Amino acid sequence: MLAFFLPVFLLLLLVGLPVFFGLLLAPGMLLWLNGQERDIALLYRNVYNGMDSFPLMALPFFVLAGELMNKGGITMRLVEFSQALMGHFRGGLAHVNILSSMLFAGLSGSAVADTSALGSTLIPAMEKNGYTRKFAAAITAASSVIGPIIPPSGIMIIYAYVMGESVAALFLAGIVPGILVGVGLMLVVRLMADRYDLPKAERIVNRGQVISPLEGWVSFVLLRINFAGVLAAAFAGVSAFLRAASVADISLNGWLVFLIFLPIAHLLLMRLRSVVSPDFRVICKKAVAPLQTPIIILGGILVGVFTPTEASAVAVAYALIISFGVLRSMQLSDLPAVFMRAALSASTILLLVGAAVAFKTVVSLSHAPEQMAAFILDLSDNPLILLFLINILLFIVGMFLDAGPAIIILGPILGPIFVDLGVHPVHFAIIMSVNLTVGLATPPMGLVLFVASSVSGEKVETISKAILPFLAVEVLVIFLITYVPAISMTIPRLTGFVQ
Amino acid sequence: MLALLRIIAWVNTHILRIGRQLAWIALAVMVVVILTQVFFRYVLNNALAWPDEAARFLMLWMTAFIAPSAMRWSGFVSIDMLPRALPRVPSLVLVLILLVMSLAVLVTAVGHGYNHTFGFGGKFDSSSLRVPLDWIGFESVKVKLRYMYGSLLVCVVLLIIVTVELILRSLLTLVNPNAELPANDAPDTMLSAD
Repeated sequence: MLAFFLPVFLLLLLVGLPVFFGLLLAPGMLLWLNGQERDIALLYRNVYNGMDSFPLMALPFFVLAGELMNKGGITMRLVEFSQALMGHFRGGLAHVNILSSMLFAGLSGSAVADTSALGSTLIPAMEKNGYTRKFAAAITAASSVIGPIIPPSGIMIIYAYVMGESVAALFLAGIVPGILVGVGLMLVVRLMADRYDLPKAERIVNRGQVISPLEGWVSFVLLRINFAGVLAAAFAGVSAFLRAASVADISLNGWLVFLIFLPIAHLLLMRLRSVVSPDFRVICKKAVAPLQTPIIILGGILVGVFTPTEASAVAVAYALIISFGVLRSMQLSDLPAVFMRAALSASTILLLVGAAVAFKTVVSLSHAPEQMAAFILDLSDNPLILLFLINILLFIVGMFLDAGPAIIILGPILGPIFVDLGVHPVHFAIIMSVNLTVGLATPPMGLVLFVASSVSGEKVETISKAILPFLAVEVLVIFLITYVPAISMTIPRLTGFVQ
Repeated sequence: MLALLRIIAWVNTHILRIGRQLAWIALAVMVVVILTQVFFRYVLNNALAWPDEAARFLMLWMTAFIAPSAMRWSGFVSIDMLPRALPRVPSLVLVLILLVMSLAVLVTAVGHGYNHTFGFGGKFDSSSLRVPLDWIGFESVKVKLRYMYGSLLVCVVLLIIVTVELILRSLLTLVNPNAELPANDAPDTMLSAD
């Protein structure tokens, strides 16, 4: 009897029952029909236990940090910074759109936030620059899927929690795939720029900007610290290599190395300062404070100072300090609305995760995974072919369902099968996350298409057509990630988060 | 029926407004609690026991207080292709059936929630949370687990009231497409989490 519960569940979802209720109704009904009424109490308790989790708390915090940064007016700074770097290429603003999405991805873990924040500034700017509106909306939607791939990422926190993986490992594994999607999209823009003669843009739009003395000093200090940190890390790498190759032993105290590199970093930056224009310098300086967020989050997790949950709370604190103390772009009266929006969107996901944990216990009772596994293994026992098939399945699911709920539903069913076949759990998590995230931008039901449509005023159908070339390259990246595990696994392996 | 809907809508509007206020405050306090934990652990080298549990306590109540607002504003994720594709009357009938299904889940949950909260397990003390009455000269009291368990029960009860309101709304629209329904207090824009 229990075996029927997956089809019943799918049917309930397809007719439109909210996923939260579907996750509870399908197993509950079948337990009831089976006369296992006592287990329904267990179902309820598991919803509670599923939500009562410390690691899960990173979710509302990262949503909040993203909302704060967005409200604090950092979007404009990131766009201007991207434009100063890439605006002068052919198809300049399209490149700027993609790069801004990549930078924004380090602050927020959400494709929707990315589309609405960047779309409202960049789509009008691109239209003014001579792009069609549908192209501008399409590139905004296509590049926004990078948001949940580059850390921090809401869906990766959910996956890690439901499947018992390490959030840090998934975050690190997402970096290269996210960059790869961005580079892939830039290549498409490059090809289209030749074919459709896409315009260049000015690198600096608003000349003569000023930066407040406080912010100037904050960026001055942060830049030097980060740069010296990078140099010190490089030195540590070289010395470890030399020691391993027994050429020379130059290991020194980490802090000492850092202090030695601090003046060197300063001198190098002063050299750089003399070759760029003052406007360029101000725009770069203005991007330093916002872009410190991903460095704090990832740096803190990497060094082992913070758990991801603590890192997310620190990110909130940093966002508050920056938007109130340094940028002065927010007022106290803005806070309740921002907190409320974050609480609202986090609460639905938390309930879903609770229901998913309850659902998962019944899934494992029902022998459904064994039957699914037998069915899948009947198709082929070659993991490469199965991965191809599973990507197609995920892609179809992604067209109709948001990434978060889809991961909650499919993770517990598919994950164990592929891990048994020898796919690394972190690698499989990345395949699922990237595939379902790209699903956010696929017609007919992709969420960000609707957001892009409401931001730009262009019809969803029109954007859906214009987005196809970008989707093609994203699908290509999905297969690259699937068949070259090193793309996602190298950074977590090098940093020791994955054995 | 319209009068009944007006009453329920009024109740929901006011209860949920309070709920949203409590929820954002809970989120703000959560941030403070976790930062306190980080500060004590890394700066004062003194790991505190209570922030972990306190923050979870707040997160559970935050969800309980604000999730009903999300449901009222149709923020619960679903695949709504079929209801959108159907003509008006079948679509409304389908939506009604789905709402009744949701109500069935919630009503079943209330009983289990009651047992969970007021049953055996809820009587235990929390491991680290206490009300620091010793600060004002009394003995400090450990928080019972039922005060955490109760969050989901409260959430379910609020969700039931919202679902009843939504059922009444669909019924009235089904009977009279031009019926003037009370406002649902929704803001202009709603953002989803991914």
